[in-house]
Amino acid sequence: MYFTSSTEWYEQASLLLKARPSTARITSKYTVLKPTSSKIRKRQKYASKRAHSTSAGDAGNPTTTPQPPAEQDAQAPSATFTLKAYDPVSGCCLKYETNKAAEVGRLIASLGRLGKHMAAMKEVTTDFSVPAGNAGIETPAGGDSDVPMVDVGAKGESRGDVPQKAATGGGGGKKKKKGKK
Amino acid sequence: MAGEHLTNDEFFKQLANLFELNRTKGHGSVYLTQKRFTYRNVQLPSADKMIEDPLWDTYHPEQPVPVLIRASNNDSSKRAGTERKSVEKIKISTVVQPDQIEEFYARYAEACKAGMSGLKKRDRKKGKKDKKKKKGASAETKV
Repeated sequence: MYFTSSTEWYEQASLLLKARPSTARITSKYTVLKPTSSKIRKRQKYASKRAHSTSAGDAGNPTTTPQPPAEQDAQAPSATFTLKAYDPVSGCCLKYETNKAAEVGRLIASLGRLGKHMAAMKEVTTDFSVPAGNAGIETPAGGDSDVPMVDVGAKGESRGDVPQKAATGGGGGKKKKKGKK
Repeated sequence: MAGEHLTNDEFFKQLANLFELNRTKGHGSVYLTQKRFTYRNVQLPSADKMIEDPLWDTYHPEQPVPVLIRASNNDSSKRAGTERKSVEKIKISTVVQPDQIEEFYARYAEACKAGMSGLKKRDRKKGKKDKKKKKGASAETKV
């Protein structure tokens, strides 16, 4: 099954790893595909429709309507990055897919945390008492400041799980989590 | 898995190669897998015992266990009438010792970020939108 948020995926995957640490595996796939002809047609249609509607909107109230984006080349290949946690014994399969480059650092960092689970390192503690997606729902939509923060988390991983979580959480979630630990 | 496990350094070199190949090809996939390295290190119980005690796997092992990392590309075969060339499957793997996991994943993240160049960059228009959203959100939290 596919998850819509990466934090949710991470939580479920780490639960799966807890249940089956020696059989579960995590596969991630980075794939680049040329669009099919129908996809190209769809894109062209969407682009023309979009250009039309925004120009109409601009005539109405030019201030609030966002500018049309730099048009995506209809022929451009699309790339995706898919995370999959799979346990062959129970047949459980958890998936998360993204196409955003900004998320890769964060996702690999979570793979690293899961890797620690796999390695059965003692200091790994994951706090599931925090409601799912409390801070996580906001993070995917987070601003530019998000990426460097994740980097800091990945490098400062030696300090354990807490700073990284706080780093990815950002904003209000930070205080709350620090208080809990 | 054919072949020996590579050292971590060698693995990163080969991984960069895989991504580079994928980039020059213009399409295709890179698969990355991680799992506990159980071969010879951990004795799996017999099938009977597993059924007897379904929670056998959840007991915490005494010693940290290495993690096995694999990477591969997809092979493709030549197809008449298309540009597709036949590409051999490349498989690489490495074993990460528990004390090197953090260092490994930091490098791994860098390698992947560099390699996955096809993913969507954050575009400027979206950034503006996010800032607007943020302002709105922070205003809400203050209230």
